[in-house]
Amino acid sequence: MRRKLTVTLALVVTLAFVAAGCGSSKRTDTGANGSATTTAAPVSGTITVSAAASLTSAFGTIKNDFIKANPGANITINFGSSGTLETQIESGAPADVAAFADQATMKKLADKSLLAGSSQIFATNSLVIVTKPGNPKNIKTLADLTTAGTIALCAETAPCGKYANQILTTATVSIPASSVTRGQDVKTTLAAVTDGDADAAIVYVTDAQAAGSKVATVEIPTAQNAVAKYPIAVIKATKDAALAQAFMDYVLGPEAQSVLKAAGFQAP
Amino acid sequence: MTRARRRPPLLVVAVAAVTVAFFALPLIGLFKRASWATLVDDLTTTESLTALRLSLVCSLSATALSVLFGLPLAWVLARLRFPGRPLVRALVLLPLVLPPVVGGVALLAAFSRRGIVGEHLYDWFGIQLTFTTAGAVLAETFVALPFFVITVEAALRSMNTRYEDVAATLGASRWTVFRRVTLPMIGPSVVAGAVLAWARALGEFGATITFAGNIIGKTQTLPLAVYLALESNPDVAVAMSLVLLAVSLVVIVSLRDRWLERS
Amino acid sequence: MTTAASLRLDLGTLHLDIDLTVEAGEVVALLGPNGAGKTTVLRALAGLQPIDAGRLTIDDQVVDDPAAGRFVPAEQRPVGVVFQDYLLFPHLTVLENVAFGPRSRGIPRAEARSQAQRWLDRVGIADLAGQRPGKISGGQAQRTALARALATEPRLLLLDEPLAALDAGTRASVRRDLRRHLIEYDGATVLVTHDALDALALADRIVILEAGSVTQTGTLAEVTTRPRSSYVADLIGMNLLRGRSTGTVIDLDDHPGQLITAEGFDGPVLALIHPNAVSLHRIEPEGSARNRWHERITGFDLLGDRVRVRLDGEVPLVAEVTPAAVAEMALAEGDTLWATVKATEVTAYPS
Repeated sequence: MRRKLTVTLALVVTLAFVAAGCGSSKRTDTGANGSATTTAAPVSGTITVSAAASLTSAFGTIKNDFIKANPGANITINFGSSGTLETQIESGAPADVAAFADQATMKKLADKSLLAGSSQIFATNSLVIVTKPGNPKNIKTLADLTTAGTIALCAETAPCGKYANQILTTATVSIPASSVTRGQDVKTTLAAVTDGDADAAIVYVTDAQAAGSKVATVEIPTAQNAVAKYPIAVIKATKDAALAQAFMDYVLGPEAQSVLKAAGFQAP
Repeated sequence: MTRARRRPPLLVVAVAAVTVAFFALPLIGLFKRASWATLVDDLTTTESLTALRLSLVCSLSATALSVLFGLPLAWVLARLRFPGRPLVRALVLLPLVLPPVVGGVALLAAFSRRGIVGEHLYDWFGIQLTFTTAGAVLAETFVALPFFVITVEAALRSMNTRYEDVAATLGASRWTVFRRVTLPMIGPSVVAGAVLAWARALGEFGATITFAGNIIGKTQTLPLAVYLALESNPDVAVAMSLVLLAVSLVVIVSLRDRWLERS
Repeated sequence: MTTAASLRLDLGTLHLDIDLTVEAGEVVALLGPNGAGKTTVLRALAGLQPIDAGRLTIDDQVVDDPAAGRFVPAEQRPVGVVFQDYLLFPHLTVLENVAFGPRSRGIPRAEARSQAQRWLDRVGIADLAGQRPGKISGGQAQRTALARALATEPRLLLLDEPLAALDAGTRASVRRDLRRHLIEYDGATVLVTHDALDALALADRIVILEAGSVTQTGTLAEVTTRPRSSYVADLIGMNLLRGRSTGTVIDLDDHPGQLITAEGFDGPVLALIHPNAVSLHRIEPEGSARNRWHERITGFDLLGDRVRVRLDGEVPLVAEVTPAAVAEMALAEGDTLWATVKATEVTAYPS
């Protein structure tokens, strides 16, 4: 009986690996040129984009739109905390384009001469308090966060964590450390409220919008709020400069901008 | 006349050497990467010390729980025959193959304020396990207990049960038999199981961060601290990694004989 | 105070069906081939094996009665067991082993230890108190196991092949000591053995167990003078034959030969012939021996200063001769010759 169990377990483990492998297989499209767009000649190739977690749904749409216009293009987006992504690029991770949630992080890449050109701001964002639906703890101001229970904030190496710290300092609100749980990126931080037991979190406006009815939002007064500036740049070590630049231009262009606006971002 | 010793098979030894290098290189790299001059300072920052203290408290508590609940379970699995026993064993061993984060998500489904049990814990008793040190202990116990059970169950199975018969004929009640005969005879395996469970609990990350969150002084154990320090302060991260590495090495070396010896 | 076992038990291919009674102070040896069920009987008496049907009583107290739904577990029975491989607790010293029983019954540690020391004195291993079982000899381990069993002051003592694990040299002296202890012990004793010498030295009564049933019981003298099964006959090295007697002539079952005995009677019989009484001849002999058979040699067994010659033919027999005789007669396997036995050497009794 023990032997049967071992074999079954081994099979399950193997199947899990196979499934995971299948899940991440890339399609290699080497199609012919598609129909020309009104703006530029379609480009093809393969690039990797490292994008801040808060851009998840917006960039997902933008990528699909870009590929529709450029059928020969193959784009993989790597979402994560800007800080983590920056460290990865510094360590030599293959990324062609970087889109971060704050300028300080992009500056680190620039200082290390890892950018092909200069970066450009393509969107701005601000932050908001999110709570459980119906705001059961009746949070109205940042000060209320000190007694509301467990508060989820981003890690200080993530831009949203820096912004949150900045906001709290500006508002002279100090949440006890024993009530603060730090998530590694803004999506995990948001999930602590939507799926976990955290009572509130400080996340981007765009994340609150994406969460829809899963959260209730509490505005942060503009005087105390931070303005997150999102830069995008091409990485110097890119293997496909043309496609990378084309993607960056697309993000700065009208189609992508309206997608960003719809997601809750503000104009750069 | 002595027989000439045969030369060891070269291919086998070569493959083994490559495998050893595979494990040794990351450790050597870690040693090289360490900032030895600042090591003591890095390890004695408030964050490091808090994380270390929390790690010790949580892992030792998780180990104690693993032994307390694991012993009866191991006994039942080894000594009692009941329908569905293979299924129960598979269930208990599941955390061994489950990715830790998945374990954390599962724990949320059961014990968060909206979980099947957690809901009632909160509504009736006001008890919340998420974002608490108790929650971290729970997550660590979840992943560590199977290690204890699997070790002790094997020992109970391979033990000569006739000694238990002898003790019964001498008038020992079942509890006395367990306390004075069974337990001492599987003693080494109980220790080995506890040490394995402790090592697993100490290194636990995915389930802890998902279920108990990442709160300094409450749930930010050493592995979580390393993960966060990695970007902001890599020297501290490496220093803390070395601590974990040292502990793991001590565990493995001390267990070496037990693991190979049958009790 | 009687220990009575009337038990029926099915265990795998073994169907055990026996009735056994032992009085306090009596030593009964359970003798039989491997697989006969002897150890199973002991385990049932000890409470380690419930019976299927029947009743077990120890000192007139019912300990197992399936029909009445009564089963007293081992730890509550006044039974002491010495197991075949002694099974001394390896993690306890000799003294702690012997003290285990009294302590399990609630006697405080110090008192239990001094009781244990007294028992060690009685069995003659007082100075081994602090030793571990792994460091003592076989004979010392046997004594420890005995002391451990007796320290609980049982009403029934069960010994499973108590001398089997010892080498021949130690066995004799340990047997003598064991005899002394069994005489001093006032409870009932059931001793399982396959060695007739043990039975002879230690037991008051023998019960022969074969394939789950009792085939014979009595004193050793009774059993061996009138064996009822080839197992016992082989045990004591005798020839045992079955047949039907009419007067002084016995027609053998399954064999063409006939036996002539000195005393006659009628009916089914068992006939006993000592191998010493069988004479071998190359040529058909004359003479007074009334039994004369044509045989073929099927094999030899060398037993020190004697040779047992196995014969088949009219009558299956074993003859015992000196090695010199074998050499002189140049006996070899496959040879045909004549075997004779005097009528007075054939002991017949009703089967």
